[in-house]
Amino acid sequence: MNYGEAKTKIKTVNLRKVFGTGNSRVVAIDNLNLEIKENTFTVIVGPSGCGKSTFLYLVAGFDKPTSGRILLDNTPISGPGPDRGFVFQEFALYPWKTVLGNILFGLEIQKVPKEVAREKAMSYIKLVGLEGFENAYPHTLSGGMKQRVGIARALAYEPSVLLMDEPFGSLDAQTKKLMQQELMRIWEETRKTIVYVTHSVIEATYLADKVIVFTARPARVKGEIDIDIPRPRTFTDEDYLRHREKILSLLDEEVTKAFKEEKQKLPKQ
Amino acid sequence: MCSLKSERITEQIKIEARLARLQKVKRGATRVFFFALPFLSIVITLELLATLGVINPRLFPPPSKIFLTSLTLASRQVGGVSILLIHVCSSFIRIVVGFSLAALSGIFIGTLMGTNKIIYRLLNPIITFIMPIPTFAWVPILLIWTGIGDRTIIITIFLSALFAIIYNTSLGVRSINKQLIWAAQTMGSNRLTMFLKVLLPGAMVSMITGLRLGLGYSWRALVAAEMLAAAAWGLGYMVFAARAFMAVDVMFVGLFLIMIMGYIMENGIMGSIQRVTIERWGMTRET
Repeated sequence: MNYGEAKTKIKTVNLRKVFGTGNSRVVAIDNLNLEIKENTFTVIVGPSGCGKSTFLYLVAGFDKPTSGRILLDNTPISGPGPDRGFVFQEFALYPWKTVLGNILFGLEIQKVPKEVAREKAMSYIKLVGLEGFENAYPHTLSGGMKQRVGIARALAYEPSVLLMDEPFGSLDAQTKKLMQQELMRIWEETRKTIVYVTHSVIEATYLADKVIVFTARPARVKGEIDIDIPRPRTFTDEDYLRHREKILSLLDEEVTKAFKEEKQKLPKQ
Repeated sequence: MCSLKSERITEQIKIEARLARLQKVKRGATRVFFFALPFLSIVITLELLATLGVINPRLFPPPSKIFLTSLTLASRQVGGVSILLIHVCSSFIRIVVGFSLAALSGIFIGTLMGTNKIIYRLLNPIITFIMPIPTFAWVPILLIWTGIGDRTIIITIFLSALFAIIYNTSLGVRSINKQLIWAAQTMGSNRLTMFLKVLLPGAMVSMITGLRLGLGYSWRALVAAEMLAAAAWGLGYMVFAARAFMAVDVMFVGLFLIMIMGYIMENGIMGSIQRVTIERWGMTRET
């Protein structure tokens, strides 16, 4: 695939994020420069605690950068907004709303006329395969079904970017695999710009057009790998394995580095 | 042959349904039995003790006497209305007004404190210091400020319920999962929608605790305030006034009615609110 012609959707310039002060000061992100093209599926991987979720929160506008800039369609991000949808690892569904209610909420806020909103919500319920569960409350659903609601809710008000923070991280292996296939199907139907954070290289290689590997804290770009294997991909395909190894070797260095740093911080026994 | 078989099956289903219904009735009856047993035993024991002359019926009237007194009080009328009904209604209106005011302002202030750091810092010390003052201690001051009558009683109820509601609401709002707020912000929610559709239902578990506590405090405050500040009506007043005539039976009628009204408000009203909200939403575990 040729990204040279595609429009830049998200761009960061010397992005830096620092938490706390004094002894508890943590530099989460430092001098991060990256570009994400429109309508592509970008996966960010990195050692755990490296600041990849922090990066996603900054793009969502939940938090503000300490310095540097994040541009969305060439305009700096000033806060959360309906041009970006967010899918949380722990689903974050409203327990007091039914499946339909959760998915309708964004449309209600956007003041979409009732009939249109309902129709739209129902079409997204169908897209994620939840027909017949419109009136169920979230606590009655399984983890995989909850995340289907989470995805439908984030898509329903039609943001141009979908941000996903380890969305299948709390699901069991079988459900995870199914959901990855489902996400691929949904993405092919909607072609949103997706930024997806995970620590699973297997997942990243399966899903992404481009994988961006982050360094151990503070997060910078360690490397970028384009994956141009046609979809649907198989986990045993030679091309797939080759890409996976490449990402893994980049990541391994960082994981080792992160581990060493952690060890140094602990008092000696 | 075939129809015979299906007939037998229908018959079977009918029998099973009847059995299931019977079982349900039986379970209901068991529950009523265990609920009523302690009360019945107390009533019967007291009645027996009074008839046998073990206890002085003037100081400890038997249940039958209390029941008769309640009938007498209910049938005695002022201006065509039952005396007992006026007492009950006076108390009821006071508690509804006082508690509703406390609930509305408590939820409002509590939500503000839960969402705004500055408001929290300003109000929290005041609340922490005022909360431990027994509501009773306010009554003499209120008697001077607002005199004998409904105003003083309602303010006492209001004060007694307010702090528990503020405290629990603000706690509830502060313990809402941040991601639920973020999700609404991403959708473009304004402050009003956030308050009504996210913060209020999200704080519901803690808020209902606050409301239930507040309602309990309201009852105590009501009865106490009526004893000191009621002009002529109210169950608290009735109980207190009966002391002048040594009418212990009237006092017990009062206690009994307070108990029943409290039970209805607590279990009937607050209980149903709880059932259709947090229990339905799976925000509490089933007991």
